[in-house]
Amino acid sequence: MKPLLKVTRQGVHASVQDYGRFGYRAQGIPVSGVMDRYSYELGNQILNNEANAACLEIFVGGFEFEALSNHTYVLTGAVGDYYLNGEVLESWKSFRVKKGDILSLKSAVEGSILYLIPRGGLNVELVLKSRSSYPLANIGESINVGSILYGSEVEPLPNMRGLMGDYRPKFDTVVQVRVYKGPHFELFTNESVERFLTHSFQYIGGNRMGYYFKGEGLLLQEKKEIISEATQFGTIQVPSSGEPIVLMADAQTVGGYPIIGTVHEDDLSKLTQLRTFGSVMFHLMEEGD
Amino acid sequence: MNDFPKMMWVSQNTLRFAFSEEISQESFLLVQHFNRFIRKFLQHQIIETVAGYYTITVYLKGRQHVSYEKLLEQWQHYQIETMNGSHLIGRELTVPICYDEEFALDMERVMEHTKLSYEEVVSLHSGRSYAVHLVGFLPGFPYLGELDSRLHVPRLQKPRKLVDASSVGIGGRQTGIYPIDSPGGWNIIGRTPHRLFDVKNNEPTLFQTGDSVTFYAITKQEFYNMNQERV
Repeated sequence: MKPLLKVTRQGVHASVQDYGRFGYRAQGIPVSGVMDRYSYELGNQILNNEANAACLEIFVGGFEFEALSNHTYVLTGAVGDYYLNGEVLESWKSFRVKKGDILSLKSAVEGSILYLIPRGGLNVELVLKSRSSYPLANIGESINVGSILYGSEVEPLPNMRGLMGDYRPKFDTVVQVRVYKGPHFELFTNESVERFLTHSFQYIGGNRMGYYFKGEGLLLQEKKEIISEATQFGTIQVPSSGEPIVLMADAQTVGGYPIIGTVHEDDLSKLTQLRTFGSVMFHLMEEGD
Repeated sequence: MNDFPKMMWVSQNTLRFAFSEEISQESFLLVQHFNRFIRKFLQHQIIETVAGYYTITVYLKGRQHVSYEKLLEQWQHYQIETMNGSHLIGRELTVPICYDEEFALDMERVMEHTKLSYEEVVSLHSGRSYAVHLVGFLPGFPYLGELDSRLHVPRLQKPRKLVDASSVGIGGRQTGIYPIDSPGGWNIIGRTPHRLFDVKNNEPTLFQTGDSVTFYAITKQEFYNMNQERV
């Protein structure tokens, strides 16, 4: 255990995450794990980490850290105003931090979620085979002022590494995502289905459990009690308000709202990076695509 | 021979099988049976499955080819092989509940709605065996069916902001126990001294889908004694 960073200022929300906790959904335990898998994977590749190395996932920014030891890191995900001892820090490139340095992640500007990844990953206890936090069930520790993040002693990277601009994901304010028909797709009115697939829906807020969208209501042909069934990261639920909720990485394992569709796994990353008042358009996939 | 459930792709890595849409003992047994079948026949291709009231959702390790025709054939064989039903016997759990007013926050509401006495509510609730149809909503939360029809009471109009862990609730046709402190809208009629969710255990949840559960009433004194033993 090597102490890496001490939190000296806290922002909206940060948590330790890896790929997620698999194999426990039948017991009601969500998968959790990173929201933007793509940025996370690339970050670990830049540092030559194991694919499942744990990182700190930060919403929007607002965090400041004091370095407790020399170590190498990378920032991926949202691009923003980030500083090391007051100097502008570029994300998507590895960087070295010396003991006593101040790392300030002020605010995301493009995208909403950033990943702070140390070489070798964060060292936290495995709970049910994963390092991902799930606060609702008291799994993992909350990250507040005074929290210390630990890593491991690892061979330093021989060279600084990074990803060239063209290869970095773009974070748009309007995202297009592919969806599969949900189990209750046929229960919606024709007009609702058409609206769902041709209109955009505005992101009005959310968290690791779900993103809320505003738009013209999606209505069932007739009122119907839905029998609860399995849900996942990407499930698009429609409560009686008619406004869709997309379940996110901490998705509850079962839900009782009508499910109009499910977002294609490969399109989840860009959806998670939406900023408030950004919007999404859903495009129907055919079975077997 | 049972019908083959409908199969659909929920996403590129998730398959959903659905029997006829209902909550019943028959569909519960069918779902449990099919869940065992699919876990056996796709064992190298799946991460995990979640069995629901009438659905079985299968999470695959990435995109996999799954042949509907082949599954259909194997399911028919499997049903013949396992016809005696012994495979369907899940664990039988007995769980103590204290129905004392200290814990039974909504007992009066339930008595008023059902026109039953306190003793009748307790004996109807603890007097039968329940099947764990589904675990979810919260880690380790068991959806138990079927509740005696005389105990069907609508959920609270306004859910409580905080229901204590181990509280026993009834809502509509179901009963369940809250595994962790959480918001909740079911009528609370008691509490168990057992812990339902503990990440330090190999099996983190007390209940698993397919179990059958019987409750028995205990006094407040017994509750606190058991509660101490637990720690």
